[in-house]
Amino acid sequence: MFQAVAIRIARLVATLFVVSLLTFMMTALLPGDPVNAILPPTAPRDQATIDRVRDELGLDDPLPIRYINWAADALRGDLGKSYVTNQTISDTIKDRVPVTAQLAFMAVFIAVIMAVPLGILGAYREGRWQDTSSSAAMQVMLSVPNFVTGIFLIWLFAVKLNWLPSANWSRISDGLVANLKTSILPATALATTQIAIFSRLVRSDMIATLKENYILSARAKGLKDRFILFRHALRPSSLSLVTIIGINFGALLGGTVIIETLFAIPGLGFRLINAISSRDFLAIQGITVFIAFVYVLINALVDILYLVIDPRIRKG
Amino acid sequence: MTKRGLYKLLALLFSFALIAAACGGGDDDTSAETGTETTEAAAPDDTEPPDDTAPDEVETEIAVDPDARVYGGTVTVGLEAEATGLRPWEDTCASPCMNMAITVFDKLFEIDSGFIPQPYLAESVTVNDDFTEYVVTLRSGVVFHNGVELTAQTIADMFPIQQAGAQSAGAVTSSNLADVQATGDLEVTYTLSMPNSAFLAFLTQAELGFVFEPGAAAADPDGFTFAPVGTGPFVIESRDLDNETVMVRNNDYWRTDADGMQLPYLDSIAFRPIPDEGTRLDSLLSGTVNAMQSLRQATIRDARGERDGGADITLLEFQGNNVGGGMFNVALPPFDDVRVRRGLVQLNNQEQVIEALGGTGISLPGTQWFSPDSPWWSQKVADAYPKFDFDAGVATLQEYVDDPARSDGKAVGEPIDVELSCPPDPTLIAGMAVIQQVWDASGLVNTTLTNFDQQTHIANALGAPPDFVGIHQAHCWRFSSDNDPSLDLNPALAPPSPAIAEAAGIPGVVSPINFSNWFDPEAFTAAVAAIRTDNFEERYALYETIGLRMAEEVPIWFSGHTATMIGVESNIKGVNGWILPSGELGGGFPGAEGRWAEVWVVPE
Repeated sequence: MFQAVAIRIARLVATLFVVSLLTFMMTALLPGDPVNAILPPTAPRDQATIDRVRDELGLDDPLPIRYINWAADALRGDLGKSYVTNQTISDTIKDRVPVTAQLAFMAVFIAVIMAVPLGILGAYREGRWQDTSSSAAMQVMLSVPNFVTGIFLIWLFAVKLNWLPSANWSRISDGLVANLKTSILPATALATTQIAIFSRLVRSDMIATLKENYILSARAKGLKDRFILFRHALRPSSLSLVTIIGINFGALLGGTVIIETLFAIPGLGFRLINAISSRDFLAIQGITVFIAFVYVLINALVDILYLVIDPRIRKG
Repeated sequence: MTKRGLYKLLALLFSFALIAAACGGGDDDTSAETGTETTEAAAPDDTEPPDDTAPDEVETEIAVDPDARVYGGTVTVGLEAEATGLRPWEDTCASPCMNMAITVFDKLFEIDSGFIPQPYLAESVTVNDDFTEYVVTLRSGVVFHNGVELTAQTIADMFPIQQAGAQSAGAVTSSNLADVQATGDLEVTYTLSMPNSAFLAFLTQAELGFVFEPGAAAADPDGFTFAPVGTGPFVIESRDLDNETVMVRNNDYWRTDADGMQLPYLDSIAFRPIPDEGTRLDSLLSGTVNAMQSLRQATIRDARGERDGGADITLLEFQGNNVGGGMFNVALPPFDDVRVRRGLVQLNNQEQVIEALGGTGISLPGTQWFSPDSPWWSQKVADAYPKFDFDAGVATLQEYVDDPARSDGKAVGEPIDVELSCPPDPTLIAGMAVIQQVWDASGLVNTTLTNFDQQTHIANALGAPPDFVGIHQAHCWRFSSDNDPSLDLNPALAPPSPAIAEAAGIPGVVSPINFSNWFDPEAFTAAVAAIRTDNFEERYALYETIGLRMAEEVPIWFSGHTATMIGVESNIKGVNGWILPSGELGGGFPGAEGRWAEVWVVPE
């Protein structure tokens, strides 16, 4: 057990190393001199000014040295300071993680409460109109990009019905109701693809479970269908769902980039887009590596959870 | 349902239909037909010159609102981007930032409705005969938000910070400003190293015009961006970056309106960055914000549609000198040859480009640095600018292509290669596609389209020392502004590199922001002469000379003038007609920059 956990932690470290290296190299190798992005076009561009900025950022060091210096600082929690917002990257992440995390959690929550009944219904009515129509709907939800759903939700719930605000964010400290009003539409837009994935997973697992002998036995005992579905079939059919929720949670953090920009939500994704458009390379590196870190960490935790739950994997 | 709403619903249904189509069989003929149709649509058979007279509806007249003023209320403004910093000396301050900054800071001078600088925090100014010394007298009794009194020494103390600031240092150099001294309690003397008759225009700009509290700035330069201290009508209350910045009324503000009522009228004002144009307009329509800005023609078109469909909004539209188009890097072949530049401009189907940008009926076609409403606009320049003429463009390019000594080193008859680059904005990409189709339809041009983020786009044009040539070829750009022409034109016409300056006999006069790298001694001499006189007729003639040289040498091409808009809920008043302390009408809302001190909300 200890060895298996150690192997997964080693993999996590290796993955983070590769991700951080690639992110660093990609931003470092972008065309053009970063100094041009840092200095406003109208700023003096004498060689002394340029040399000073290059020296401050260590841009004259060889790339490997720059990476080592940056990684060493990052390990100490110092991801540098944005020259655009004048904030440290660590503070930026600290301020924005709660927003993005809330959005991702809400999206997962909405997806689960929508997907599970739909999946169960599809399995219970396998091959009938309820199943085929819900499958078709899921296919559509899987195919329509989140931002298209977002635009539609804004138009319907903000402009036409005037029930909810179309943009920006109220923090929980401003009141839960205000917070929910600003978060429900983006979370729903983010959830639509997940609803489709989760419900198809529940449906297929549930179909397999419903063919198990103990389900037939329960039916033979005359138990009601609802009781069988929710008490006997749902739990064993949910293992894959729990796994995929874990894996997709990391992906959702990345998916918030577009939704946060569309809804003007001050999360990590919105900051990342702004950092890219202003070529704020320290912010790009820091936020990308952080998202990668969360993604890899969640996957590693899911792996380790497997080891705890399933002895066969542990022994394998 | 409005047309725009219908489009959204149709877009969603279209997505569904696409999915259905993807699952079904395909018909490969469609793409080929579309390609042919598109080429034909762009095929240039209409050689009518564009009409650059202003349709009545492209601009809202600036006028003082006659309704009774009301105190109280809050206005939330949707901006196209976040103001990343609020330090006038250090941070880039484009249109969204200006909306916020103008609530915190006052300028020494402000533009009137004719775009002439007039005293604002300054009370008066005297200028010496050769425009090298400006003595400015400040208003008395003005205090900063932290209680510090505004004196002449304040302005003098700002100067070292401005000299070192990333933003202000460039303006210090461009304006020829050499020294700032307090020569009395409220008297400031600006000394210039060379004459500049347009110096006061610099004092209407953020870099040198915004008055900040130098003590607070020096004590915590980084913190100042989140807690700026000025003398403006509002005091910053909270700043949640990328979400909301809230300002509350400055109860000690020095200004009153024409009737003696204390300004500002509003209790508070909030600014929210909403980068997506559609979401920002939806936010106004849904009441999520009460006002919004836009610098995109397509958004103005959509907003007009909503207003005409019954939405209770007022649109304040402005058509200024700012003009879209692009530039050629004349330092690189084949753009070093005027035949290539002229030929490509003759192949620029301006009307279709404007249509692709969503600006038909909104954006005026450009022929020069100034819009037809500007006092600097010239009919001669408009006549001289190469109009869209497909056959003439082909003939001009053919001459270059058939020249054995052509500068790009290619064989006679080979098409020229052009990289046309724009920032990745959907409407700009649509406009680029039109240009590409016509250029390529000539059979003499191979156009490659590229898109880079805004910073990289600028960096590609800027290049690196010592020569600042850049790596751009044909490059989307916006030109000009409603400032004095010298502010934009002089740096754009100065030698782009030390070598060119040396060759021109003006060593050391180098402007890295001459992005097209076009240096024309006649045009530059005229630009310098134009800041040595304040006689309008003389200056007009000099700028006309510059315009004619540009039309002949075509280092840049024009599409349309940039229409901008501030949209407000109909009960919000006062954005349209703010006044100067002298009682004269101010400059309105150029570039979608509102002046919020005189805005009020009529109770529902």
